Amino acid sequence: MSAAVGTEPVAPVGSAAIELRGASKDYGPKRERVRALDNVSVACGRGSWTAVMGPSGSGKSTLLHCAAGLEQLSSGQVHLAGKDITGASDRELTELRRRDIGFVFQNFNLVASLTAEQNVALPLKLAGVRVPASQVREVLASVGLADRRKHRPRELSGGQQQRVAIARAMVMRPKVLFADEPTGALDSNSARQVLRLLRNMVEGAGQTIVMVTHDPAAAASADSVLFLSDGRIVDHAVAPTAREVADRLASLEG
Amino acid sequence: MLRLSFSTFAQRWPLFAGAILTVCLGVGLVQSSLLILISAATGGYVEAITLLAITLAVSVFLAVFIVSSTFAFTVAQRRKDLALLRLVGGSRKQLRRLLLSEALLLGLIGTAIGVPIGVALMDVQTWLLGTLGFVPGGFDPAWLDWILGVSAGIGVGVAVAGVLAASKRAAAVRPLEALRDTGSAAKVMTGTRWFFGLLFLAGTVALVIVASFAGPVAAIPLTVNSALTAAVALSALSPLVVPLLGRLLGLALRGSALGRLAQANLTDGVRRSASTAAPLLVLVALLLGQSGVMASIGEATEREQRRNLVGDLVVTGQGAPGAGLAETPGVASVATRFDVPITVTTRTVDDGEVETETEDDAALAIDPETYALANPAMASDGALAELSGDTVVVGDDSGFAAGDTITVAIKGVESGERTMRVAGVLPPALDSPYVVIAAESVPADVAATLPSYSIVKLAEGTSPEAVASAIEQRGLGQVSPLGDWIGAQAVKQQDVSTGIMTVILGLSGLYALIAVVNAVVIAAAERKREFAIARLSGLSRPQVVRTALVESLAVTVIGLVLGGVAAAGTWAGIGMATHRILGEAVVVVPWALLGIVVAGAFAVVTVTSVLTSLSATRPRPISLAGAGE
Repeated sequence: MSAAVGTEPVAPVGSAAIELRGASKDYGPKRERVRALDNVSVACGRGSWTAVMGPSGSGKSTLLHCAAGLEQLSSGQVHLAGKDITGASDRELTELRRRDIGFVFQNFNLVASLTAEQNVALPLKLAGVRVPASQVREVLASVGLADRRKHRPRELSGGQQQRVAIARAMVMRPKVLFADEPTGALDSNSARQVLRLLRNMVEGAGQTIVMVTHDPAAAASADSVLFLSDGRIVDHAVAPTAREVADRLASLEG
Repeated sequence: MLRLSFSTFAQRWPLFAGAILTVCLGVGLVQSSLLILISAATGGYVEAITLLAITLAVSVFLAVFIVSSTFAFTVAQRRKDLALLRLVGGSRKQLRRLLLSEALLLGLIGTAIGVPIGVALMDVQTWLLGTLGFVPGGFDPAWLDWILGVSAGIGVGVAVAGVLAASKRAAAVRPLEALRDTGSAAKVMTGTRWFFGLLFLAGTVALVIVASFAGPVAAIPLTVNSALTAAVALSALSPLVVPLLGRLLGLALRGSALGRLAQANLTDGVRRSASTAAPLLVLVALLLGQSGVMASIGEATEREQRRNLVGDLVVTGQGAPGAGLAETPGVASVATRFDVPITVTTRTVDDGEVETETEDDAALAIDPETYALANPAMASDGALAELSGDTVVVGDDSGFAAGDTITVAIKGVESGERTMRVAGVLPPALDSPYVVIAAESVPADVAATLPSYSIVKLAEGTSPEAVASAIEQRGLGQVSPLGDWIGAQAVKQQDVSTGIMTVILGLSGLYALIAVVNAVVIAAAERKREFAIARLSGLSRPQVVRTALVESLAVTVIGLVLGGVAAAGTWAGIGMATHRILGEAVVVVPWALLGIVVAGAFAVVTVTSVLTSLSATRPRPISLAGAGE
């Protein structure tokens, strides 16, 4: 099972949008150390959509956080858009979050006091990018919220809030989008809508998506699925059906 | 970026309204105290200057303390929002700029509201000073345009300074914290807290030691200062105490689920608990510290008088009692004292220029031989016997030494000032006169206008009542037994002390009280979502309100206990001072005030906590719990 080399979707170095090499992450003080990621090597090609699945505590979220530079690896390397970000400074990581990566989370994480439009424009403002207001409106329209732009998050449904969050991630045209349970808090209709939007990002704009999910249906929308258990990659499936995903997951949890 | 601030204002208005409230009251109080002080100084109301200077110092301190701690608290409360900004590409610099420009804006708004409040407060303070007799009726403090600069400096400067350290900490927030549920994961006992806590603790100890060596006049400002430094020290270190108290609370409410929840919340929200306790801590430290010091000085002075004065009756009259008193049958000896208003001129040579300073004061005028019989303690080291028509003797904390010269002018004497030699220094005493002159130095026509007190010793075997009525029949003055007179003097002094306390702490205390309420309101308003989740977990609305109340009361206990500790420090100082002078430590704990403060604090916090948590739990819980905010 060691590192499951055969099943890794390792693409040739250079063409990967995101690549982890021998990535390990430990938590806690020395004596009661918990290894959340154990020597994981994985690469996602440009314009690919990878789903990460696994039982609770398998290290899915840690993988995502480390890949996005939100957490430091204990050992190993992370390359993002051709750059080694393993030991990047806060300034470099900030720049990275501005230009190259976007986030979508289960609980939306919108700024409650800003309208949908203002939330979408926020990354632009922070990056000091001047864009016409019409462009922000276009992005909102592309997620089907043209008529909701003046609403605040609490006046929107969960599905609408998640679409605002996706619009916020889209507006900077990031190379990689990290999504943590993007459909976890949504009803199935809203979830389908969100997954369609993510598919458009991959197909239309050639963006790369790494998505952690519990939902086999969501995972089946991705190009490939990685299965994690105890911090290791234990399986890999290309374009599986929801049923296949559910079966493999069940075998892991069982 | 400021748009974000504006929209945040709308979202979290209790937080920002609370911050603005502390700024505008602080600005108003400082502005008013400063204007009154300047008017009193330029108008020559010398008696009031020291008092007003202390009042100003307390106002400035409270404004700085309350505004900066409130602002730091508001920043700490928004950790999660700030982490979210970091997540979508905000840099540390941008976060700091956002927080600082917010503080600037809030400071400006607070100043704009605070200036007119200051004008209104000036009327209140002037009325207070006039009513208590510290300034004459016609006293009308003048408006000075440049005060606007000072007010803006206090309002904006303190707000920004308060946020400066907090914003540095907040900017270091990790983006990942936006994804965690609790936003206040930051370490509470920061290096800065340790540094200032220990620094001010050391300062307090130093001040208490200095106060124990100072005379009663200097002891009051020193102990006020030590109460302030102790308040800073203890509030900086208070996060250390919170978990301890949480554990005690857990023991007290053992077995009750609500008690356990309250304990957990208290310990979990250490920063919130500490911030809420801070203004109460200061209020208690100042109020109890100062009133304890004043009551102790009063009590010790009274004991000293009872011990030192020898005699049976005191005759109060105007001018010298004349030979009639001494000749009244049954009177063995008479010692008369006048309090003579004088001015003391000191000249100091500074860079070749002579600087002249004139101070109003009161001299004790006595006949050294007869007075030595009535107050043998004062005469005990022989200095008093050196007093003659050409010399003075001085109290031990007057700053003069034997052999110095002193330039004195008795008010109402045409011939003007006289330069006299200091013949000796009196032994230390609480009721120590500044300057003692011989009665013969006071012209008879001036003496005739002054109130006099004559301590009368009776011949053995005579009835005090008979002699007293004989003296009164002869129209020589009002007679009271010595003990009663000393008691009446002490009561009079107590009234003056109460007046002083009211001037110094009246409005400042009110400010601190408002800050207590403010802190409770802010803390509860920020917990809407937490309350909602507690209700979704099965707590009823009254149970949530009760849990919040238990927490608030526990925080009140922290404020009261730490404030009490700070006050006790100042009492220790006065205990040492009285022990040094009197030979016994006199510490009067102001139990009545203590009771009022404790009951008042609990009442105010209970009402505020219940009202705010009722209001915070008004929306249906599901509408708040799901919002992710």
